[in-house]
Amino acid sequence: MVTLKVNGKEISVADGTLILDAAKEAGFVIPTFCYQAELSSLGSCRMCIIEIGGQKKLQPACITPVLQDMEISTETEQVEDARASMLEFLLSNHALDCPVCDKAGECELQDMVHKHGPRKGRFAEMRETFHVKDYPLSPVIVKNSNRCVQCMRCVRVCKEVVGRGVLGTIGRGAHQEETSFLKGELDCDHCGMCIEVCPVGCFMRRPYRYKSRPWDLNSTKTVCQYCATGCITKIEERDGEVIRSIASKDTEGFNGRMLCSRGRFGHDFLNNEERLTTPLLRVNGTLEPVSWDKALDVIKDKLKKSQPDRVGAVASARLTNEELYMLQKVMREGVGSSNVDASSRWSAGDSEAFIAATAIDGAGLSIDNCMEADTIFVVGSHISDENPVTDYMVRYLSASRRKTVMVASVRPMKLDRSAQITARHMPGRLGAFLAGVTLKLYEENKTKLSGVKGVKSLDGLSIDKLSKASGVAPGDIEAIAKKLSSSQSVSIMAGTDMIRLGDGTGGLCLLSDILKTLDKRVFVLPLLDRSNQRGAWDMGAHPNFGPGYSELKGDTGLDCGAMLEKASKGEMDLLYVIGDDILAMYPDRAFAEGAIEKVGFLVVQDIFLSDTGKVADLVLPGASFVEKTGTVTNQEGRVQPIKPLRKPLGKAREDLNIIADIGSMISKNGSFTGDITAETVMEDIKKDVPMYGDVECDEQGCRGFLIGGVARRSLKCISVGEEDTTELKENKKYPYYLVTGNHLFGSGTLTGSSSMLRKLIKEPTIEMCIEEAKSSGLTDGDMVTVESDGGNGKYRLQTRKKSSSKVVFIAENFNEGSVNRLYKIGERVPRVSVNKGA
Amino acid sequence: MLTDKTLEEIERIKKKYPNTKSACMEALQAAQREKGHVTECDMRAVAEALDIEPVEVQEVGGFYTMYNVEKPKGRHHVQVCRNLSCSLLGAEHIILAIEQELGIKTGETTEDDRITLSTAECLGSCGTAPMMQINDEFHEDLTVDKVSDILKGLK
Repeated sequence: MVTLKVNGKEISVADGTLILDAAKEAGFVIPTFCYQAELSSLGSCRMCIIEIGGQKKLQPACITPVLQDMEISTETEQVEDARASMLEFLLSNHALDCPVCDKAGECELQDMVHKHGPRKGRFAEMRETFHVKDYPLSPVIVKNSNRCVQCMRCVRVCKEVVGRGVLGTIGRGAHQEETSFLKGELDCDHCGMCIEVCPVGCFMRRPYRYKSRPWDLNSTKTVCQYCATGCITKIEERDGEVIRSIASKDTEGFNGRMLCSRGRFGHDFLNNEERLTTPLLRVNGTLEPVSWDKALDVIKDKLKKSQPDRVGAVASARLTNEELYMLQKVMREGVGSSNVDASSRWSAGDSEAFIAATAIDGAGLSIDNCMEADTIFVVGSHISDENPVTDYMVRYLSASRRKTVMVASVRPMKLDRSAQITARHMPGRLGAFLAGVTLKLYEENKTKLSGVKGVKSLDGLSIDKLSKASGVAPGDIEAIAKKLSSSQSVSIMAGTDMIRLGDGTGGLCLLSDILKTLDKRVFVLPLLDRSNQRGAWDMGAHPNFGPGYSELKGDTGLDCGAMLEKASKGEMDLLYVIGDDILAMYPDRAFAEGAIEKVGFLVVQDIFLSDTGKVADLVLPGASFVEKTGTVTNQEGRVQPIKPLRKPLGKAREDLNIIADIGSMISKNGSFTGDITAETVMEDIKKDVPMYGDVECDEQGCRGFLIGGVARRSLKCISVGEEDTTELKENKKYPYYLVTGNHLFGSGTLTGSSSMLRKLIKEPTIEMCIEEAKSSGLTDGDMVTVESDGGNGKYRLQTRKKSSSKVVFIAENFNEGSVNRLYKIGERVPRVSVNKGA
Repeated sequence: MLTDKTLEEIERIKKKYPNTKSACMEALQAAQREKGHVTECDMRAVAEALDIEPVEVQEVGGFYTMYNVEKPKGRHHVQVCRNLSCSLLGAEHIILAIEQELGIKTGETTEDDRITLSTAECLGSCGTAPMMQINDEFHEDLTVDKVSDILKGLK
């Protein structure tokens, strides 16, 4: 610790603390331009210069660390003069076109000049003019270099946080311009981080251009719904139109200013005119508007005539905790059936194995804590596409804290560049690969590890065999095992591919047990792709367990797949689907279509008329996340509130109220009547789900953020012996393995309804290894036909470097050309052929 | 596009550096040797060979005066240093003399496309100031008379 004085106030801070942070702790804010907490130090703008006792020259606070007994003055006349001079200097080349600048009103330069002067500039030289008209850098980014203050935050954020590095500083001195290669259109993540960090109006949002002034916007601080990273974002609207979403200094989320392209530009779906606004009932084959009373009466009538085990509910894992809790309660206590699931993509068994392997039923764990481990091991996830902001955090925290990152994945991704070791394994063989790593560790520490549960299942396996099965070279397996073995602490980030392919959970369980036995601290963080997936499981929206992973009193229920199977035999009387699009998501479209058709009565509750909605018997208009109250739990186990910006559209209602109404109609003991609000349901949740006992939410947010404590029942891990460790067999007719997952610019109906995101991804694409494409006579941009045993589809080809040669990727959420038509029921990795031509 | 020979040279250059990005300056020089300047295609090719972003190559190319990202119009590119040492020893007079001799201003090219004149910051030859660089050659300890002779020698 170091003790020093800031403006006469004595404080103690840790060694190496920057003067800027020390002053902040003492309560003095030092103005900055080029400084940004997440970024490397630059110290170029000289806005933060301060006086240090005994030193003649002023020093920059953002790059100078504190020393014992320093006496720092941040508010002397000399400092104020210097600030005014620096601003005068910056303004000498600034366009000063505030009246037409989008940034005016929230511009750091404007605020700073207002506060520190100068009132007059003395520079007589001509201003540097880079260009006359603003130029576009991407469908979402537009540039005006004449306003630049050369802080280089955009360049650094693109490189150090986003990991793209497509912006550069061209030229030098006053002629320096931060822009793209030859000022051309960017081929990047389009995340808009450059816009967010720009202190002036140099990088701007194209959709927001000339639309509004910041003080004319109404806003709500809420949680982004696009993935389970759970970024805090401010959604802003003017005259009923959602205009932008922003994570700024004052949103105070753990994500700081970070958002991805979906989170920053994808919320215009809320304005889409195709939003549902009234209940629709199928009359003589067509969906016709009806009143709520009529709609609920129909449900009541149908429910009365149905047997409990022939009723099921499938909810989206984007609903709030309160809604999901209510839904499972209505199903279990009202209807008397445990047929409730929160995913149409995954089987209950696979998700249960994943919950056990990643200890989701235990306590929460923050990304920040995870990044304190020596080694970060990312498995089974395409984190760069599925959880972009988590990817940013891993990148910049591992660089600034000097941690080792290792990646094992099927597809190449952006994070590879920030990783020290990268392993590319075959699809569905993560288990074999992890078994190889555990086997290596076991061989080296046999005496110590012989008592670990499940380690016997490694008998009979060899590194050689596992290497062949997983497609990872023995050297890479050994290198990873060596790195793990030399680390004091290890964080394993495990992603959705493990559930999607039902693969690797056994290996992960054993690996973490082994590492723990080797006296290492082990953190396991799940990486999920739906905003409230973890919350959904916590709430018991799962056929195999109740709230808080409690054992069910009665029988376990059916998961979505089992419900469809039952439906295909004509044994489902009523299926209640909330926010999920089974036809677009269930991995076998043809089967799902046949099954859904045979459901006795299909109720779909959604904000858009999805494919499943189009064939429903009754469609109920729900509310989007800016039209309701509640909480969601992100992948870390952080409970965060979502708050309404406006009322549900038209006759649409909050989903919680609809579910409660259905509950009250069928309840035998009146448990769903009375005033049911998100707050009252939360009180029930606290009693029923032990981990949520301490959660307190109010206007400011939720405290007791990370859910704690131990769940009532610990789910059982599957053993490595159950993993598939055989080699994949070649298939002459269909030579490629198809894998799927989320796309960076698309994750389903919501992104598909966003006109901005549709500009970033215009049509369904298939990704293929560049060498493989070349040898097959295909080039980037070709239209190709993809065929499998299940069906076929047309896609635009995108070639990728460093991809496994036989693996192709199609995102799982394209509305047209949905990938599930290529799947056959029970098939994890379909074999496909790719041929030129449409 | 870069020739195979240049690409091979870049591969050799890469091996000398701890990471490929550090090889950017030398690789760009190799690329420039082909035709005396670097084009958009060249910068992309260098970026591809070094596995870095094209803009990172442009950053380097745009920063140093020794790279010609835009093709100088004249056959000979005369760059006169006007940094501290050269200025103290009369760079101003040298520039003026060249301008008068050629009848053009700094930044311009003679009508016959023979010479393009520009000024540069320190070229690292302060001990022999004033100096100028013509294409890849240094001309040092300049005087007005010496400059005139040198210019006449340029075809």
